[in-house]
Amino acid sequence: MGKYILKRTLNSILTVAIVFVAVFMLLRLMPLSGYFPQEMLKETDEATRMTYLRNQGLLDHPLVQLGRFVKNLFKGDLGRSLTVYPKVPISTLLKEKIPVTAAFGFASMLLGIVLGLSLGMLMVRYKDRWGDRLGTGYILAVRAIPSLIYLFFIQVWVSLWLNLPMVFDKDIPSSWILPVICLSLGSIAWYALWLRRFMVDEENKDYVKFALVKGLPKKEVWRRHIFKNAIIPLVIYLPSDLLFIISGSLVIETLYAIPGTGGLLTTAIKNQDNNLVQIIVLMYAVLSVLGVFLGDLLVAAVDPRITLTEDK
Amino acid sequence: MKRILAFLLTLVMVFSLAATAVAEDPAAAAQAILDGKTFERTYNTYFSSSYASFNYYSTSYATVREIVANCIDGLVEPDIYGVYQPSLAESWTVNEDQTVWTFKIREGLKWVDHTGAETEYALTAQDFVDGIRYIGDPLNDAYSLRVVRNLISGLYDYYWLLDDIDCGNVTDKNRDEVVASFDEMVGVKAIDEYTVEYRLENSAPYFLSLIESSMLMLPVEYDYAMAMGDDFAVDNEHMLYCGAYYVSAFERDKAITLTANPHYWDLEHITLDTVEYQMIPDGTTSLEMFKRGMTDYTSVEAEAYDSLVGTEWEDNLLPTDHSFSTNYLWLDFAGENPEFNAFINNENFRKALLYSMDREVLAALREPIDPSRILRNTINAEGAIYDSNGVDYTDYEPLKTIKETNYNQPDLAREYMDKAIAELCDADGNIIGVEPTTVDYLPVCSFDVDGKLPVTICYVGTDDEGEIIMAQLFKAMIEESLGAENVDFQIQAFSGWTYGTVADPLNYDIYFDSLSTGYADPSGILTRITTDGAENVGKYNVPEFDALIEKALAAPTFEERLQYFAEAEAYICDNGFIIPFISSLRGYYMSYSVPYTSPLTLYGNSKYKGTLVMAEPLTQEEFAILDTAYEMEREKALSNAE
Amino acid sequence: MENTEKNISLNPLKFRAKVFDQIASEDTGYSNYSYWRSTFRTFFKNKAVMVLVILIVAIIVMSFVYPIISDIDPNKVALKRKEWNQRPSWEHWFGTDTLGRDIWTRSWYGVRNSFLLAFCIALSDVGIGMIVGAIWGYNKKLDPIMIEIYNVITNIPSTVYLVLLAYIMNTSYLTLFISMASRGWIVEARFFRNRILSIRDSEYNMASRCLGTPMRRIATKNIIPHIISLIIMEAALCIPYSIGSEVFLGFVGVGLPVEAITLGNIVNQGRASFTLHPYQMLLPTIILCIITVAFYVIGNKFADASDPRNHV
Repeated sequence: MGKYILKRTLNSILTVAIVFVAVFMLLRLMPLSGYFPQEMLKETDEATRMTYLRNQGLLDHPLVQLGRFVKNLFKGDLGRSLTVYPKVPISTLLKEKIPVTAAFGFASMLLGIVLGLSLGMLMVRYKDRWGDRLGTGYILAVRAIPSLIYLFFIQVWVSLWLNLPMVFDKDIPSSWILPVICLSLGSIAWYALWLRRFMVDEENKDYVKFALVKGLPKKEVWRRHIFKNAIIPLVIYLPSDLLFIISGSLVIETLYAIPGTGGLLTTAIKNQDNNLVQIIVLMYAVLSVLGVFLGDLLVAAVDPRITLTEDK
Repeated sequence: MKRILAFLLTLVMVFSLAATAVAEDPAAAAQAILDGKTFERTYNTYFSSSYASFNYYSTSYATVREIVANCIDGLVEPDIYGVYQPSLAESWTVNEDQTVWTFKIREGLKWVDHTGAETEYALTAQDFVDGIRYIGDPLNDAYSLRVVRNLISGLYDYYWLLDDIDCGNVTDKNRDEVVASFDEMVGVKAIDEYTVEYRLENSAPYFLSLIESSMLMLPVEYDYAMAMGDDFAVDNEHMLYCGAYYVSAFERDKAITLTANPHYWDLEHITLDTVEYQMIPDGTTSLEMFKRGMTDYTSVEAEAYDSLVGTEWEDNLLPTDHSFSTNYLWLDFAGENPEFNAFINNENFRKALLYSMDREVLAALREPIDPSRILRNTINAEGAIYDSNGVDYTDYEPLKTIKETNYNQPDLAREYMDKAIAELCDADGNIIGVEPTTVDYLPVCSFDVDGKLPVTICYVGTDDEGEIIMAQLFKAMIEESLGAENVDFQIQAFSGWTYGTVADPLNYDIYFDSLSTGYADPSGILTRITTDGAENVGKYNVPEFDALIEKALAAPTFEERLQYFAEAEAYICDNGFIIPFISSLRGYYMSYSVPYTSPLTLYGNSKYKGTLVMAEPLTQEEFAILDTAYEMEREKALSNAE
Repeated sequence: MENTEKNISLNPLKFRAKVFDQIASEDTGYSNYSYWRSTFRTFFKNKAVMVLVILIVAIIVMSFVYPIISDIDPNKVALKRKEWNQRPSWEHWFGTDTLGRDIWTRSWYGVRNSFLLAFCIALSDVGIGMIVGAIWGYNKKLDPIMIEIYNVITNIPSTVYLVLLAYIMNTSYLTLFISMASRGWIVEARFFRNRILSIRDSEYNMASRCLGTPMRRIATKNIIPHIISLIIMEAALCIPYSIGSEVFLGFVGVGLPVEAITLGNIVNQGRASFTLHPYQMLLPTIILCIITVAFYVIGNKFADASDPRNHV
């Protein structure tokens, strides 16, 4: 067990390191003019621009820059944003943005799990009847209609019908309702879809048929056997989902003016804000390998059939 | 269409009714409107793109100007008629040739912090000197530095000396020594505690408007800024305020609260206690929120305009006032596309382009009712620059002719095009001297040209939805008037920082951009677009234009200066070296605030000082009456000022 | 004992020995069961599936035929303001867009282009994924390397290399294809690798192998049919997904030329006027929904139909 964890950890560190160095070097391939907003390019001559780049350390050899970055990182200095929020410390940015996004992410994840699992069970309970059709209809609708269209619709018209605020305001509790619902629409469909699939699979298994024939009450079989076994493949994603509640949704955060991390990475990349991109990529890579790792540990903990040993 | 006509008619009626009703005494009518109102002490508005930081020296974000305009006062400030009045400076004097400006600073003022409490830092002449000291150091990365750096005497040399030392080009001087010699090297001095003097390289009759428009001329408490280092003004808690408001709350990308500064020198003219900003990234959302009473202001885009006609809000749609920013097309004279190069250097082809577009249709994208209102054939805006007799710069001939020309003449364009083809092509439509090749405009695009007609034109704009629509209109118009067999107009939309990847490395044939009249002198734009000017993006070579600009700069009087500038501007526009076509103005707005109650900031950003906010939205009728009264008053005020 | 034996002894008048028939003896070993025939019979037995298949074929045929027979230029811009944003009429069945272009015409061009693009992407994702997955599943030594490659590719935010790609390439169908196909294959490869392993090691195949069935026979009779049904399902699901992701790529700047007509481009460009002229989005959205739902249902039902347990 201990050996397994050690090996997994080393492996994860390697993955993160490769990802990070790859992104770091890719960013250095971008053209130098990308570091300047239009107004600055227009107003400045070549020499002033070079001065700026030199001040920011962007003219050094990429490996020198990498070394400096890692050194600062170990000192706990995340650096400052370059173009998106000029000179604002990245740690400040993350400290401001992550809690907001995480709160929304957590609420919507909770809602997604509760509603998604309920819908999934409803679909199995009334398989091939109204419950199943309702659920399938919902899942298909979420997948088929372009999300931009229904999100827009919800923001403009549903807010009018229900008299809810159109944008998020931390002082108005009701302004949480629409964004949280919008955020969870997809995950409700996801949980319902897979829970139904796994439960139907379990239901057809011989041990279930045997238990029912043996005379165990249907409820008991459902609760203790089918549901428990069907939920295990879903549990593996739980840690990842939980960690990634900090990543946020670009579209929904923009629509409801939520000051979160949603568009941060995309904006940073588009504006060539290397410092910001590096930190975010590093953060997400760590979370991602950590999530998979914790998922495996969790499954091993809840599923006695699985043990974490070296050979399979 | 009928509805639009009906609306126009009512508009005309309302305006004429209003005009007749108030013909005797517009001021009294305007006063009557205001007398019946109660005014709020809070104003709710919004911003649509984030406030990256509040550092007024090193930011290019236009949004930041809006906050800074209210929080940091400059030396002077325009009144509601646009006449400069004392602000932090009580009075000022200028020497004969307008190269030395001396300002007497208001005494006893202190900087306040983000809680509105007075700090120990007094506001003195030294703070203005230090502002220049701050931007003069390359390490502080000041933006938009060029105009100020070249105008204040010695600043250019000081900046580059420091830069050379940082680069290692100059080793025999010590950085600290040079910084210490700032007071000797640079022409800005604190003569005593409350007197600051600026020495300029050239005569600058427009200096006051530059003070209004440039954030670089604002004061700073140097010790404080240095103590903050890189943290200076990254948020509301790391800066000091001396304006009518301070930022009492700041939630990045979400909300900003401006609170009236209790220690402000002009407290009696502050009419709003708080201004609440919230982030609304989308135009549709802001319109909806205005309808629901959640904000006191919304802009109304052309598309949304139609949806409001016939609703209860129709009566509240007000035309947006002015914009000194001009949209124009850059033409690439030195790009890699040999077909376009052959043609663009031909005067007839440039004229063909000039006359090929129906500018009113383009304008209708932004102003659906009266598109001609936003047409602009000149680079500098009408109403931005006046000579000392009050004559508008754009009324100087030959610029006046350009201003009044109708450029929608497809037949004429076709004639010019035929002439150009006759000069540049052989009988089979081969462009003389052009071989088939592949044009490499990457990362924008790359394409093959065959050296035959049609001429391939690569148009580059941003991926902004409105600009893409405009580009498609360009294509339709140009291909229709010049003939699709003669030109092949290709649209490339590009995202990100377009300028750095498209315009600067010349990866385009035609490029859409805008220029703004920054202060009350044509030199603001025109000196930047000379053959070796910083903004000559298309790399044209026009010695005639350069010569006129030289003459203008050396002219002994302001009137002569304007005359030469007008000739230069007319020359470069008439020959189609760049093609201005409309102003950047965007249609309409709705608001609870009374117009013409705050300072008329033509060159800088609007201020809330004096703004009156009503309990209900302003109507067109009220607007018409207030407008008439204001125009009369303004005329009086302007003539008094001279 | 003896008695009973006597009683059940055969009456030679009633029973006769059968001559051994070589051909008939083979017959009893097999039923006339054909896997593919059963699959298609089960598949088409479902009425809803029939309707959807007909619908989707109709849409695709229409989208390819319409541009040939129609003489309306989908990019024809109207230079008169009154021709912009027209409401549906006899002349323009679904109205005109912001620049007076006929939405009915544009939609069919859009369907054709989007479908072709999506088809190519499905082909490459599933095709490459399948081959790599098979090699990966077959060769255990590759496992650690492949897992590392998988981790790295899925952990680098796609925006990073999409933006870079946008810098070095034109906006064109090819660029869009490369950027959309750049990541899908590894995900599919992993999926196929897992499926191949689990089928190969499943109990009935182990049993079959113990009974001496040659591996080739197991592969052709048991593994490949199963995999083919998976391929069809994955490909079917891939098509609506790639149509949807066009929209995001347009946002990052790797989109198509402005004048290219795809469903993604139409939805993207109509987004701003959506609240003002909702009918402009109607037709493209309906078609998009039908395509998504149809492929989703068809893919799932085909997977069901190809499961031998559901065969009669």
